[in-house]
Amino acid sequence: MKKPLRLLSWAVFLVLAALPLLAGWGYAGAYSLGMTGLLHKGVTLAHWQAVWSDAAFWKSMGFSVYVALTAISLATFFALLSVVAWQRDFRRGWLSYAVYLPLTVPAMVVGFFTFNLLSKGGLLSRISYRLGFTDSLVAFPDWVNDPFGIGIIVAHTWMAVPFFMLLFYNLFQSEGLVSLGQVARSLGAGSGQVVRKVFVPVLLRKASPILVLYGLFVMGSYEIPLLLGTQSPQMISVLAIRKLQRFNLMDVPQAYAVSVFFVVLVVGVLVLVSGRGKRWRLKSKDGVLNQKMAS
Amino acid sequence: MRTSFFLLFTIFFACAPTSNPTQPDPGTLPWEELVQQARGSTVQLMMWQGDPLINAYMQEYVVPAIAEQYGITLKIAGGQGNIIVQQVMAELQAGKETSELDLLWINGETFYQLRQIDGLYGPWTGALPNGQYIDWKNPFIAVDFQQPVEGYECPWGNVQLALIYNSAEVPDPPRDREALAAFVRAHPGRFTWDVHFTGLTFLKSLLIDIAGGADMLSGPFDEAKYQRYSAQLWAYIREIRPGLWKEGKTFPEAVAPMHQLFANGELWFTMSNNDSEVDNKVRQGIFPETTSAYVWDGGTIQNSHYLGIPRISANKAGAMVVANFMISPEAQYRKQDPAVWGDGTVLDKGRLTEEWQQRFRELPPRKYAPSREEMQLHALPELAPEYMIRLAEDFRKKILEDNS
Amino acid sequence: MRRRILQGIWGLIWVLPFLLLLVLSIGRQWPFPALLPRQWSLAYWADVFARGGNLNESLLFSLVLSLSIAAIATGLGYVTSRQIAYHPKKERWLLLAYFPYAMAPVILAACLQHYFLVLGWSGKWSGVWLAQLCITYPFAVIFFSGFWNQRMQSMEHLVTTLGGTYWQAFRKVLLPMSSSALLVCFFQTFLISWFEYGLTSLIGVGKVQTLPVKVFQYVQEANIFLAALAGCLLFLPPLILWWMNKRWLFRQG
Repeated sequence: MKKPLRLLSWAVFLVLAALPLLAGWGYAGAYSLGMTGLLHKGVTLAHWQAVWSDAAFWKSMGFSVYVALTAISLATFFALLSVVAWQRDFRRGWLSYAVYLPLTVPAMVVGFFTFNLLSKGGLLSRISYRLGFTDSLVAFPDWVNDPFGIGIIVAHTWMAVPFFMLLFYNLFQSEGLVSLGQVARSLGAGSGQVVRKVFVPVLLRKASPILVLYGLFVMGSYEIPLLLGTQSPQMISVLAIRKLQRFNLMDVPQAYAVSVFFVVLVVGVLVLVSGRGKRWRLKSKDGVLNQKMAS
Repeated sequence: MRTSFFLLFTIFFACAPTSNPTQPDPGTLPWEELVQQARGSTVQLMMWQGDPLINAYMQEYVVPAIAEQYGITLKIAGGQGNIIVQQVMAELQAGKETSELDLLWINGETFYQLRQIDGLYGPWTGALPNGQYIDWKNPFIAVDFQQPVEGYECPWGNVQLALIYNSAEVPDPPRDREALAAFVRAHPGRFTWDVHFTGLTFLKSLLIDIAGGADMLSGPFDEAKYQRYSAQLWAYIREIRPGLWKEGKTFPEAVAPMHQLFANGELWFTMSNNDSEVDNKVRQGIFPETTSAYVWDGGTIQNSHYLGIPRISANKAGAMVVANFMISPEAQYRKQDPAVWGDGTVLDKGRLTEEWQQRFRELPPRKYAPSREEMQLHALPELAPEYMIRLAEDFRKKILEDNS
Repeated sequence: MRRRILQGIWGLIWVLPFLLLLVLSIGRQWPFPALLPRQWSLAYWADVFARGGNLNESLLFSLVLSLSIAAIATGLGYVTSRQIAYHPKKERWLLLAYFPYAMAPVILAACLQHYFLVLGWSGKWSGVWLAQLCITYPFAVIFFSGFWNQRMQSMEHLVTTLGGTYWQAFRKVLLPMSSSALLVCFFQTFLISWFEYGLTSLIGVGKVQTLPVKVFQYVQEANIFLAALAGCLLFLPPLILWWMNKRWLFRQG
């Protein structure tokens, strides 16, 4: 490729992706250390100490990780299952339309209707009452604003499954999995083996960067846990925004400390994952070879 | 990477707040001159826009009337109190010389925060001709969160915390703490309050009740009194906790989700800082027609909401003209109509002309809330802002995060 | 048959919420245990088109904003991610692109707000446009980073070995091969921009009134019927866009 284009590419990447984010992060860091802000009183670690010594903060971290892992695992499972089982039906028929609808809904609206479906006064509770499964509104289980984050997980899974299905389906095509499956079968593999040893590993490996990205998105999500979560533990963004925008302006630096810490943690996870990604890439070279042999 | 950090810090420190250039203070101009100066300008108002009735009042009445009478273009941007504070704070931090905003709809909490960061222009309300209709000595107007208003904000509406219940489920609602405790024991899961502004106003009302009246807590924040009475408050909440919604393990995030829970029947009670909201919500088909509002025997907090001008607003004259219009008898009269908004006027009716007094008297009464006069008998003044900050923190530590 | 039933249930899970939104948007009074609202009214829908004032304007602005953002972000991401994908330290560079997703949008907005104010880009369409590009472009880079694989590289090599120029390789081979990926990315970045609320309202100071800025306030309020209507207004335009592009989103054959 020509050199000017290469330089331009890097320039665009640095200016648009790297600079604003590092700058924003730096601002948050400076704010959390008392280096700036309208009410700052000089450099201090007090805000960080306040955050670190707060049990609610650590609970929030744990809870966010739990919600993200659960939602992503469930969504991956359902998306894999349906794509592998029904991949032919995705090309036509009403299913192919229905399942992609959720891509067109923002998180806040998802939170809104999840609440109106799953709450004690929601549609499911009414149906269950009509069918005689529950004898009153109160008898319906706590599925939103519940301590296990059921509502949050359901909402995020609902949002993620179609996205993952689209992802897996496209990978299915681009990685030539149909022919790869035929090869495996002609070599004597059973259908179960083809799914477990060929389809699932290839799809997961190829999709892993996006899955990780989506997991981060869930961990940092705000609107859905705000509507469907409890007051304690709160997911990390809800906690940060509470400190940023609520009654005590003296808490604002703590909000930035929480954000900075969260970014550090996430980047740490990404470094670990990308280290493993290298190994995955090596393996996928074999995949390409296999594919070439198959075609 | 190192370069970008360097760049970052250069930008960062190069932009430390600088002093404001001296602008002529529009508050010192004669009113006619000020109106003249404002003609043809644009005023940017930021206000909460979550209610279609309120939006319609602004868009269909205030905006065109101001354009016609004063030649001012009034533009409205959406943003609640916390967004307003964040915006004004960010502008001051960035060393801006002019604000993006000219007029702000604020409540006591926001007023306190904006004063804390010196974000408001003032005093300016003395210059408003329609200020003559306001009783500036009325404690519900002159003092916001126990902080003297001192001309830094102009009252716009007056409201009182009301408890709202469904009379189809609750024929005889509890009127004091003991009755509430008995009620939630008998009907668990039907009562709660939110963790935001409205719920905290309710907690403040409870605190005043425990202390034995508003006089006990009036004036500046008193740590010893707070400790004594808040301990009793937390004990009381722990006692009634098992009978609250979700066994008191969590509380609604804000008043809107609480209203939703009430509307779909999960809760039998909700509450509103705006005593006329219940009429508004029944009219919109959100609350059932069996809804009713009332005030405890111990009283609830009454307060005003206000209009403020950012210290670095570029169009203070225009903002003052708009504010003056918004407290005119005509604008206040329309606003108080339950079919329009139902917001209580801040005007002292005794100072109005006989014709206007008559028109205010002839406004249709509210259907689902007690009359303002009746509620006024149980009105409590706001406490010093520290009470709310401490209540919010301690409620979180002692109740929300103590899930045992 | 069993497959049909299973697929039916599966599909219903994704369609039901939309039906609920549509039904609630024309309802009034929905107390437990009624399955449907007690009263019906088209008033809110009528308001949208009659006195909704400049809602149509917001809709148009939002469409222009999101379509242009999606086009630019996808185009830039496609071209520039190639450089990053073939860099030996690919993963390390990509980390930077993951950044916006490591911060909740509202917090990211609070951090960026400062710089936008300092630079005087706050409260303007151009500022919002740039801010949205800052979150959609990294997505496009990540999206395409997996696309530039060994196979693509060998295709390119093949063309150049056979005497083709780089430009020919790009136009005749790479672009046709990427058309479906480009469309998916376009759609995704369009959606990110279309739903963007926190950043837009902070950087735009509420003055830049995109459709979400206008209607999101209703979603959080007590009036569930109006919230449902707001939800419908938000999902219908991308739904139509998606409908038009559906055949492209799935590779044929």
